[in-house]
Amino acid sequence: MSDESAGAAGPGRAEAAAGPDPIPAEARAANLKLWNAWSRIHEHAPGYNTAGFLNGETSLKPVELEELGPFVHEGTTLLHLQCHFGLDTLSWARLGADVVGLDLSDEAVSLARRLAGEAGLSARAEFVCSDLYDADAHLGDRLFDVVFVNWGAIEWLPDLERWAAIVARHLRPGGTFYMAEIHPFAQTLDDAAAEGELRVRYRYFPAPDEPDIDAVDGSYADRDADTTGLVAYCWSHSFAEILGALTGAGLRLEQFHEFPFAPAPLWEWTLEEDHLFWLPDGTGGRRKDQPLTFTLRAIKPAT
Amino acid sequence: MLDDYLKANLASWDEAVGAHLDSQLYAVAGFKAGKTSLHQIEIDELGPLVGEGTTLLHLQCHFGLDTLSWARQGATVTGVDFSGEGIAAARSLAEELGLTQRATFVQSDVYHLRKVLDGRFDVVFTSWGVLLWLGDLARWAQVVAHFLKPGGVFYIAEFHPYAFLLADDSTPDSLRIGYPYFMYGAPQRFDEPGDYAEPDARFEHTVTYEWSHGLAEIVDPLLRNGLRLDFLHEFPYTLEGLPFPFLEMGADGHQRVKGRPDFPLSFSLKMTKEG
Repeated sequence: MSDESAGAAGPGRAEAAAGPDPIPAEARAANLKLWNAWSRIHEHAPGYNTAGFLNGETSLKPVELEELGPFVHEGTTLLHLQCHFGLDTLSWARLGADVVGLDLSDEAVSLARRLAGEAGLSARAEFVCSDLYDADAHLGDRLFDVVFVNWGAIEWLPDLERWAAIVARHLRPGGTFYMAEIHPFAQTLDDAAAEGELRVRYRYFPAPDEPDIDAVDGSYADRDADTTGLVAYCWSHSFAEILGALTGAGLRLEQFHEFPFAPAPLWEWTLEEDHLFWLPDGTGGRRKDQPLTFTLRAIKPAT
Repeated sequence: MLDDYLKANLASWDEAVGAHLDSQLYAVAGFKAGKTSLHQIEIDELGPLVGEGTTLLHLQCHFGLDTLSWARQGATVTGVDFSGEGIAAARSLAEELGLTQRATFVQSDVYHLRKVLDGRFDVVFTSWGVLLWLGDLARWAQVVAHFLKPGGVFYIAEFHPYAFLLADDSTPDSLRIGYPYFMYGAPQRFDEPGDYAEPDARFEHTVTYEWSHGLAEIVDPLLRNGLRLDFLHEFPYTLEGLPFPFLEMGADGHQRVKGRPDFPLSFSLKMTKEG
């Protein structure tokens, strides 16, 4: 049973936080190449609205502002893991936070630094180019008030115990962890299904040694982008695994929510309203009965 | 409105008790002969916390087999169910097995339990097919928290919300979503002659109202009532008895989705009330 009840705390967790990079070399190379290409595409992609951001609009979704906003004030230190080219990181900086964004893509980090300059936020925004699992080498023993993870981040990671250990290590005692992510069940559904059809295709339970390896066709932010030859390596994650990793790293869960909207068009036939994507109900309206997003807030206990 | 749903569901449960006492699924004779009715999951995950003198409150206990199984492990148990027939059957079983010293049964729906029951417990336990009968988990979570001592443990083993999502006509090649995950308080109405334990029975009270609940809808109100998450586990099987055509029973006595043996069908959750 224990092999299937992923996420159980147990002995060996501390040791699991060390050791070789859990991402195989070919997966790392493919994903780096993909994210560098997507960084070039996304600067001007319809799904990112970089121009709007430079005009003062936030790139954060209402749910993030509502749920994490109350924990971000003038001078709050915030670490954004897997920040891509930093729009969300910089949106928190605009709200007063002193932010550090970390991403594996050197092109994303260069773009993030350039945008920080253009937005006049360089003084409170720092960007680090690093694989998630190498974060400690770059962050040392720096502690943050908030660690933030969002939208399509953990699917690029095979090992959530080491991810959660990094989150916990860089939170100050009493600090807040917040994540807003694509729902694990939505991740199991066939993304090529016909309009309105929801069908299970992918695995739900974690399989760190069996990534889904898919040829990339465009981008979630620009379907027509040319991504010929690019390949993505992604890993499935269950709720038991996600919650078990975080509690196992010593965090205490404070809030857990699920929502019927997605941050991106998980199917090409989803309805876009207010930068959120909804399942169609077949009569022109939104269908709200299926989970596409979840959010978690946890704290690192002060003692 | 909630009361109308409750009334229909109560009539159905009152009628089912008699049939369940004689059903294969509940195996009452084996239980009387000394077998536990608890599943290995509950024994493995909660068993270590239940010993001589542990006080245990069992919510939605039906006719008390699991409640009395915990009593046999040494616990002092209180079983609660909204069905008078269920509670009467539970009391007579306790009597027959000489467990009345350590087993009390109370007739009440979950929401109003605070009006009829005093005390705080080391453990609050509930399992298998309970949450679908509750429309309001915010109130349920308040009741759970209320009856726990500081440091006390809440444990539930239950069908996974995902288990109720698949369309009846799903096949191994096409597992379609056919039911809602979020219901926003409004139940689905079912009208079926038999039930999960006695599919061939012909009951008089056949209409039931049932709710699906997302994982967050289950966990979040418990967090808000001062419980700390110890673990959430998920399992790709049920231990018995969901009457869905796309499931098959394996040699190990576990039901799985045909052709997708890794589809999540059950979960267990352990939380501790902050001391």
